[in-house]
Amino acid sequence: MWHIIITSLPEMLVAMVQYTIPLAIIAFIFGLILAVITALIKFIEPSGNKLVKYPYMVIRAIFSFYVWLFRSTPLLVQLFIIFFGLPNIGVQLDPFIAAVIGFSLNTGAYASETIRSALLSVPQDQWDAAYTLGFSTPQTLMKIVLPQAVRIALPPLSNSFIGLFKDTSLASSITILEMFQVSQQITAKNFQPLLMYSLAAFLYAIICTLLSWLQHYLERRTSQYVKGSEA
Amino acid sequence: MISLKNIVKTYDGKTVLHDISVDFPSGKTTVILGPSGSGKSTLLRSIDLLVRPESGSISFEDFNYDYSQPISSKESFKLRRKTSMVFQNWNLFPNLTVLRNITEAPINVLKLSKDEAESKARDLLDRVGLADLEERYPSQLSGGQQQRISICRALAMNPEYILLDEPTSALDPELETQVLRILEELAKAGQSMIIVTHNMDFARLVSDKIVFIEDGEKVFDNDTKEFFEHPTSRIKDFLSGISIDPDAADNKE
Ligand SMILES: Nc1ncnc2c1ncn2[C@@H]1O[C@H](COP(=O)(O)OP(=O)(O)OP(=O)(O)O)[C@@H](O)[C@H]1O
Ligand SMILES: [Mg+2]
Repeated sequence: MWHIIITSLPEMLVAMVQYTIPLAIIAFIFGLILAVITALIKFIEPSGNKLVKYPYMVIRAIFSFYVWLFRSTPLLVQLFIIFFGLPNIGVQLDPFIAAVIGFSLNTGAYASETIRSALLSVPQDQWDAAYTLGFSTPQTLMKIVLPQAVRIALPPLSNSFIGLFKDTSLASSITILEMFQVSQQITAKNFQPLLMYSLAAFLYAIICTLLSWLQHYLERRTSQYVKGSEA
Repeated sequence: MISLKNIVKTYDGKTVLHDISVDFPSGKTTVILGPSGSGKSTLLRSIDLLVRPESGSISFEDFNYDYSQPISSKESFKLRRKTSMVFQNWNLFPNLTVLRNITEAPINVLKLSKDEAESKARDLLDRVGLADLEERYPSQLSGGQQQRISICRALAMNPEYILLDEPTSALDPELETQVLRILEELAKAGQSMIIVTHNMDFARLVSDKIVFIEDGEKVFDNDTKEFFEHPTSRIKDFLSGISIDPDAADNKE
């Protein structure tokens, strides 16, 4: 048994470093950017000016549709459409790029709702206090409200990242040689599914545990000011 | 001087300010009194555009805005530069230290340098007796300390007027006294202030002028002395209503 583990481990670790980790990190960064943009578009109320208001409502409707679409369909189906479906209309994507697009869009849709509700949970009092000091609306949003919203959004966003990290195993279905795919290939040769898939599970668990430690550390760092916190 | 003219504000079809006109003289302390729900906060917040009346106007020496017309963000900035509000629950920024609560607006809005803003903030903290708390977070302070800091935050913007909405209503009596002493000093120094309060002793001792509002209508608008020495029957009712001593309105020695 140890022999099998020792011979397959390097291959799996390479796959993890080469595909699993980069995929998770890149998709999360793009997903977060998209999520912040989407959350702000849904959060900000347009001014009364019709020339601004109507185009804004259209843009907002497009983003709402996007969030609805990606939250109402399975991630695996989304990946299949992007990678296997789009070539039918002439869009042939590299599998890694297809995976980044799929995971980013999916993460962005969920995280935008997290960020939007965090923005909403900052009390109106904070807006009033900033306004009376002469802050403009964008300044209030960026300097006062967003930093407080980040603290509120941090735990659910960390959970999203951990979820995303595990979901990268779905990328095996669109031909990416990430860690799970590699464990399947080794299994096909040594006929040890229990051992190989347990090994894959173990490696996912290690990374996810490290991530939750990081999460706790960040939560403590950003909660310094919360009542009762001794950090 | 701030002049409000013909202010009308309605919420859901219910008029809460009926055509109120009132002047707030510069360099003086004006106290707004009235029963709960009479419209005091609404009137005060209109001055800083935290509430937008349907009609009426506000004017300072150098400009005049009509509430029924659109007010650009540049115009509201001009107004808010002249006024700063202190809230009943102080509304400090919980994620910033005491010092940064005070310097955040001078740095971002007035574009002061960090050093300049900090040295000014330290002077203010010193003035309210909290110089050693600058690195704390608001949640680590008592209500009275937080309210004194929020007064510093308002003063750091060098406003012409400080607007205070029941600044001591959420405080225990001894903490209230600490805050009121600071306001008294500001009043003596000639800071223009408009204060909503239920503290009659403070109103009597510190204010120059009293505006009394009932059901959204202005009932009294005159010198403080006049208010306490020659109260109308409505004012007498109000004064005895908020005191446990039924003769409080008459028996102030
Ligand atoms: N956002 C709001 N929506 C609807 N009605 C409101 C709103 N704000 C205030 N009102 C109503 O307007 C009236 C005046 O309220 P306001 O807060 O100005 O009273 P107040 O004199 O400050 O009272 P208090 O002494 O209790 O603070 C009240 O009847 C109140 O219910
Ligand atoms: Mg009030």
